[in-house]
Amino acid sequence: MPALPLDEAGKYVAGAYVAFLALLLLYVAIMAARIQRIDRELAELAEIAEKRIDRPAPDSAGADAGAEENARGEAEGKVFERERSSRQEVIP
Amino acid sequence: MSFNAPRILPALTVLTLTAGFALVFFFAPNDADQGFIQKIFYLHVPIAICALVGFIVAAFQAIMHLRTGESSWDVRSYVSIHISVIFGVAVLITGSIWARASWGKWFVWDEPTLVSFLIVFLLYCTYYPLRYAIEDRERQARYASVFAVTAGAFVPLNFIAVRLAESLVHPRVFATAEGGLTPKMTVTFLVCLAGMALLWLTLARFELAAKSTRARLGRLRRALEGDEVAVGASRIAPVPRQAGEAG
Repeated sequence: MPALPLDEAGKYVAGAYVAFLALLLLYVAIMAARIQRIDRELAELAEIAEKRIDRPAPDSAGADAGAEENARGEAEGKVFERERSSRQEVIP
Repeated sequence: MSFNAPRILPALTVLTLTAGFALVFFFAPNDADQGFIQKIFYLHVPIAICALVGFIVAAFQAIMHLRTGESSWDVRSYVSIHISVIFGVAVLITGSIWARASWGKWFVWDEPTLVSFLIVFLLYCTYYPLRYAIEDRERQARYASVFAVTAGAFVPLNFIAVRLAESLVHPRVFATAEGGLTPKMTVTFLVCLAGMALLWLTLARFELAAKSTRARLGRLRRALEGDEVAVGASRIAPVPRQAGEAG
């Protein structure tokens, strides 16, 4: 196998090393694109989460109203019970 | 091998590869037979070794997946095959350039070493269509693992078969009877091999990190959007009160 002269062999050697580096760079570029996509998705999710934090929870108002109604109902029940017992006391 | 600090492994990889390439051009002597063109050897052979070892590592990870049923092993096996296929592309490109310079042809079809590597490479190229042709995630992972184990067993068998074959074209630099490498060449080769192995590990680690982040993002999106749908549904159609509760 005769050795190639340096000027001719150098092109092939440089070609091999440059091809390897180019492949590596291509991979890094693809990875960078994927990371950018992940970054965009993360930003979208952060936006959704922030919107949810800013908006008052819809159940809290309902829960307050329910609690008020319960309290009112309990008070009315107590009044009714008192009236009935007093009526029973009055009616022989 | 585990590196907790995320920057240590890439830094070590860059350092080792740079040192290896510096040794190739400033320390290792020119080959008496091939001359300067033999410098491709320090690039081509370490990449080939890492690619083939990566396929075998993927097979072991697939075995772990089949034994334990943990999907993380399947992901690791996928990543190992993925990086090894990329390394395989580099092997074919650098090998073709070397072949063109040494033999005057880009590829020699009756040379067992070249053809066997091409067969292994093409075999692993079928891994992707096989994997993504199956929609069910569990079946996909199981079938991919079976493929990885079978193909992984094929790699050393193929290597042994090629070593047993008589070839007059492809050099056997590690053969004991044919001289082999000088000490300076051996040191240079080992540094380049270490650099390539570290590069393989680094890329596999990046790929795993990207995959894991995407999976976590997907889970987060499903959770958030699921909540949004539930909240939206409750706003549109509130749960009616029972007649007794009306007060």
